[in-house]
Amino acid sequence: MKGLPPLDWSSADMSNRQFIFQDQDGKRWPRLRLAGWILAVLGIAALGLFFTSLFMPVDLPALRDFAELKKQLQAANPAPTIRATDLALQKFLAANHPPRLQPIRPRKAIDANAPIHAAFVDNWNANSLNSLRNHAHQLTHLIPEWLTLISLDGTLTEIEEANLEQFASLAPIILMPTLSNLNGNDWQPEAVESLALAPKSKRQAFARHLVTLLQSVKAGGVVIDWQKMDPTYRPQLSRLINETAAILHEQKLQLWLSVSMSGEMNVFDLDAVADQVDHFVAILQDETTDTDAPGPVASQNWFEGWLSVLMRHGKPEQWIAAIGNYGYDWAANSSKAERLSFADVMSRADHAAVQSAESRAPDDNPTYSYDQKSIAHTVWFLDAVTFLNQYRAALDSGLGGFALDQLGNEDPGVWKAISLAEMPTLTPEALGKLAVLKGDATITSVGQGGVVSVQMEIADGSRQLTLNPDGPLSETYRDFPSYPTLYREGAGDGKSVTLTFDDGPDPEWTPPILDLLKARGIKATFFLIGRSAEEHPDLVQRIVAEGHEIGGHSFTHANLAVATPAQIRLELNVTQRLLESLTGRSTYLFRPPYNADSQPTELADLSAIEIAGGLHYLTVLEDVDPQDWAKPSAETIVERVKTLRAGGNIILLHDGGGDRTQTLAALPKILDYLDARGDRVVPLSELLGMTRDDLNPPLDPKKNTPAYYTSGIGFDVARWLEDFLWLFLAFATVLVTVRSAIILWLAFQNLRRPLEAAPPFFPPLSILIPAHNEGKVIAQTIRSVLRTDYPGEIEVIVVDDGSNDDTLAQAKAIPDPRVKVIYQPNGGKATALQTALATAQHNVLILLDADTQFLSDTLEALVKPLADAKIGAVSGHARVGNRRSFVARCQDLEYVCGFNLDRRAYAEWNCITVVPGAVSAFRREAIVAAGGFNADTLAEDTDLTLAIHRAGYRLTYAPEAVALTEAPETLRTLAKQRFRWAYGTLQCLWKHRDLTFHRDHKALAWFSLPGVWFFQFLLVALAPLIDVLLVQSLIFGQSLAILPYFLIFLTIDLIVALIACHLEGLPYREALRILPMRFLYRPLLSYVVWKAIFKALQGAVVGWGKLHRTASVTAQS
Amino acid sequence: MKNFAPFLSLLFLAACQRTPPAAPTAPTGPLTIAVPSQGAYLGSYVDFGDTEDDVTIEAIEKYEKLVGKPLAIVASSSYWGEQTFPRENLERITRHGSAPLVYWSPWDKPYEQEKGPDRFSLTAILEGKWDAYIDRWGDGAHAFGKPFFVSFGNEMNGEWFPWSGTFYGGEKGGPEVFQKAWRYVVDRVRARGATNILWVFQANNYSSPQEEWNTARQYYPGKEYVDWLGLSVYGMQFRDGDPHWAEFKGLLDYPYQEITKIDPDKPVMLAEFGVGEFPDFGDKAQWLHDAFAQIPKYPRIKAAIYWHERWQNEDESYSNLRVNSSPQARQAFHEGAANPYWLSEPLFKPMAVPTKKPTERK
Repeated sequence: MKGLPPLDWSSADMSNRQFIFQDQDGKRWPRLRLAGWILAVLGIAALGLFFTSLFMPVDLPALRDFAELKKQLQAANPAPTIRATDLALQKFLAANHPPRLQPIRPRKAIDANAPIHAAFVDNWNANSLNSLRNHAHQLTHLIPEWLTLISLDGTLTEIEEANLEQFASLAPIILMPTLSNLNGNDWQPEAVESLALAPKSKRQAFARHLVTLLQSVKAGGVVIDWQKMDPTYRPQLSRLINETAAILHEQKLQLWLSVSMSGEMNVFDLDAVADQVDHFVAILQDETTDTDAPGPVASQNWFEGWLSVLMRHGKPEQWIAAIGNYGYDWAANSSKAERLSFADVMSRADHAAVQSAESRAPDDNPTYSYDQKSIAHTVWFLDAVTFLNQYRAALDSGLGGFALDQLGNEDPGVWKAISLAEMPTLTPEALGKLAVLKGDATITSVGQGGVVSVQMEIADGSRQLTLNPDGPLSETYRDFPSYPTLYREGAGDGKSVTLTFDDGPDPEWTPPILDLLKARGIKATFFLIGRSAEEHPDLVQRIVAEGHEIGGHSFTHANLAVATPAQIRLELNVTQRLLESLTGRSTYLFRPPYNADSQPTELADLSAIEIAGGLHYLTVLEDVDPQDWAKPSAETIVERVKTLRAGGNIILLHDGGGDRTQTLAALPKILDYLDARGDRVVPLSELLGMTRDDLNPPLDPKKNTPAYYTSGIGFDVARWLEDFLWLFLAFATVLVTVRSAIILWLAFQNLRRPLEAAPPFFPPLSILIPAHNEGKVIAQTIRSVLRTDYPGEIEVIVVDDGSNDDTLAQAKAIPDPRVKVIYQPNGGKATALQTALATAQHNVLILLDADTQFLSDTLEALVKPLADAKIGAVSGHARVGNRRSFVARCQDLEYVCGFNLDRRAYAEWNCITVVPGAVSAFRREAIVAAGGFNADTLAEDTDLTLAIHRAGYRLTYAPEAVALTEAPETLRTLAKQRFRWAYGTLQCLWKHRDLTFHRDHKALAWFSLPGVWFFQFLLVALAPLIDVLLVQSLIFGQSLAILPYFLIFLTIDLIVALIACHLEGLPYREALRILPMRFLYRPLLSYVVWKAIFKALQGAVVGWGKLHRTASVTAQS
Repeated sequence: MKNFAPFLSLLFLAACQRTPPAAPTAPTGPLTIAVPSQGAYLGSYVDFGDTEDDVTIEAIEKYEKLVGKPLAIVASSSYWGEQTFPRENLERITRHGSAPLVYWSPWDKPYEQEKGPDRFSLTAILEGKWDAYIDRWGDGAHAFGKPFFVSFGNEMNGEWFPWSGTFYGGEKGGPEVFQKAWRYVVDRVRARGATNILWVFQANNYSSPQEEWNTARQYYPGKEYVDWLGLSVYGMQFRDGDPHWAEFKGLLDYPYQEITKIDPDKPVMLAEFGVGEFPDFGDKAQWLHDAFAQIPKYPRIKAAIYWHERWQNEDESYSNLRVNSSPQARQAFHEGAANPYWLSEPLFKPMAVPTKKPTERK
């Protein structure tokens, strides 16, 4: 046996060594702190500048056309009245007296309950439904669109999405849905003729089917509106009506027959059907239709003339007058007039500054003219006054009521005119009710096309009514009321159509769409979501480089209808700033997310348009929306475009926001179809008579504002930061996977190594127990050691490191000669160990923490590897002994997985980074060669471990040498412990930094130490940033891009835990605790790591969990 | 050359002689519409509005769905009163995969029958007053480039259109004026390079007045000026006047014999045919059934164009020539057109070299 080697505690090097990270003169931290403050101030200032630039509106000069749009509207001298010669009426009247105009005169009061107050409603038009809601109490019957007879086999078809249920709650209003023969825009007279000529059984089957359908919606009957039939079949058609009415009557259902004032007078034998038909609905309008030259829609003369004709058939009260209330706008360059609501009529007159409009003899219909872009427009319309005149005339003839055509288009004064017409006499005072024209929130439009700006003004107008002794009321409009108005542009020439794509850019779908557009030579407009543009600047640049136009679609795809004005401005501006910095172009184009329907009906839809317009943006709505976002089949998308194309020229598709396979498949077919149709697919700018540079003006580098540069840099930095985080995340995932695989493989290698039948090895042992305030456990610890089965000689050396409790007394109370208890003033664990080492007599030293219990076979297993002289130290197998709290049980699993599995693996490659003070065995020469226990770090065990590596010894792991240690039971104590470990480890890493990537220390230098740097510090420190990324991705729902990474991490954790539990012989369910544990540990570890880093920078000295003023106490034997 | 010769048709030989022997490639030159060796082209005029020129793809597709078969030929009009070349209509029809047939009618607004010659009279044409328009039209045809049929001044042997011989002296040289005008117009159009036009000489099946001077042959401008012979074959169209039902066979048989005598080789096109729905007079379904059954028995008829329109007459009654005027009519048409004899797309062949006749080769 060799003599004990001397311990050189007095080496100058040792005694002068500073505590690692200690800042001797205390200047480092103030300097760092100052630098930190400066950086922080600069950073906040930069952020502030960036955000200011986002709020600072981009100054878009107003575009010429749109600023002048209103000026393009001008009042014009009234066009000479061109009267459509109504041949049919003239023919009827030729043989009779000419119509005499009824003066407004007193007549007997009408029983207010008697007349029918019916109205036509447009099932889909919000204005129409709105009017219905407001005036339902004034109606007795409602006439919605519903059935059609367009098939030659006599079957009835329901109009798609007629949504009749919406009227069910309106009782007691009686529902009288229509049955027409209109197929889209074409009448299908053959369907009616064929049915009229069909065998009786077929006609009856038709009627019974009709009954069933009417009953299914609780209708009171049906309004039959069949047109364009051949009068040749008059007997058969009349028979069909009579038979159908008879079958309806059996079920108490009514049949109303719509009769227009030309064809159908002849088509049905009114006298023959009068006995069966409940009511005739006389369509007393269309004196001039939309395809005629301009003229009155229903002049009083014409109206009363036809009344006199109607009165010859059936009973007067059988007739209901369908009285029109709308207008037509004939443009000189169009073959068809545009149908207008009363509000539209007023709005156009208002914007064109028309002086007045009058309704007087001979037409008694109001009219005005105006010019738009020097194109002459003539407007004829019907209003409350014409309604009053006509309804009175109808009542005077004894008619059974009116049917207003149609809800939503009417002059609101109509609702007052009803009772006025039914009163016995008219007084000027009563008429005063009609004089005020209330402006309201009804949205009106001027011009044609889907590119709009808006004016929100609402104001009242007025008109003057005059009672004439010898004829109907006349009126003069003095002021036209104002309504919120959309100025429309971009209708093009009818053959021009443009493609728009929303919700991009998207890395998967935008490129193939661009490829396709390029191959077909088509320029489209992309409405980009700012957030996506920020992520894919290359795509945005490609879109612009390939000649397409770009517009903003808000930054976050927010629903701007429910956003505050400030939010809307910000969304617009951030997107603008971003697009400017990415493309060097501004954009005038904007499309609000969610609400781009070309017929906005709610004021909320307009607010974004108004705000955008105020900033000089042009809002681009859509009028061909095949709803590809809902992912219908490509065929459906194409079909929808085919159906909608005739009604609009701005096609909306999507290149982002989900799987666009169907859109991509439909696009070539849509283009083929447009080609076949003879359409030209043009850029949006062309529809507006502008160029791309008008709508996406290139920025003049000389005029770029500081805000432009600030925002540009900000977007770049944000993007780099995000890119870096993603890259780091991917890198970390790969490393974690690789490391886990290596660890597992090594651990299995270790496990499979056959146990060598070593000769008995029972050297005498010195067991060193440093203790500080461990009075509660010290006696038990000492006893656990003494109870050992170890056959060799042992001595136990307990060093009480200046405890304040009864540690010393407890230790001394053990009545065993093998135990030596030494007291020293508090000096730290390392000095305690130095003290113990100086006392120890044997060559093999066992280190044991005061809170750790040995089992009876621990010692034997622990020293066994030291039989090999190359081995300098052995790590035992620490387990958590106090598995009482959740925190402690988590640590148990952590010990099992991390420490023990890692150590098993590291042992294979001789790269154990720490032989823990809790349970370990050392060869004295190794400790000496390593320089003994040093007090310059908090992790003297790690320090010693690394030093022994340096000294050239092997270090190994003895899994059978189990010791039970006491783990912190609360998060607070755990955090304290982990901070000590983190700080100590950091100190050791720093102290031994030359070891990392040192070429002499293979696995230690290249595997385990870099692993500690990366996994225990860098990754843990950056975890909060990754969490932020996760939260952001959850909020903005970027397809949960980060989720896969998290799942990979958790899966690896779980696999490792399962294997570790398997090795340890623990139940597998223990492994499941790894999942909640991660969420508990991540923030805790991040916190302690950051704290450790800060403390290190501060240069403070850290003791056994509390700060000491100095660490200058050096133990000296 | 010899090695290739057996593989090349006579037509290709003509082309080969004009190309260097080293590169006897397949002809890539202009194509024209072939006369089908089997069957006949199915075509229609689909109600394109008052001036018969509002050609929309929607209307064509809707009609094709109705009859259950694509159309090889889609007909429409170009009225001189519009002063335009219907380039877009031709493009649309061609892109759709059909061959266009244009009724090129020299008359002015209002387009009403039986009102006699107007500013586009044949004499005005011959005096050169409309040269600019004709040239423009020819330029348009040339620029369009793809082959199409043109029926100029159709039903000239009637008395309802202003270009009928009866308005130009009748038996005293009326038909000759028409012939001259035809040659004048075709020459001018050809001079503009519009060799892609196939000229259809479209007479009414029976002349009106039915006199020898007014027969179709009297109007024939010569075989160099005509590519296809054409006939209008209508059954009963109106209730007023002298309404009577006429069976299909009688409407076609004699006129076919007569028109085929004009030229021994040229194919015949029923450039318009149709019948109204008058159940009290006759069975439209039967008439259509007969038409589809009879036409294949006339071997030189290589195309038939159905007139699908419904219009209102002055007495407020309707003439309903639409295919779907009744379920029976539609079914008859549907079944008749389903016969594979009726071709649903045009066939093309290389345009013959116009300079020399191939038969001159020895």
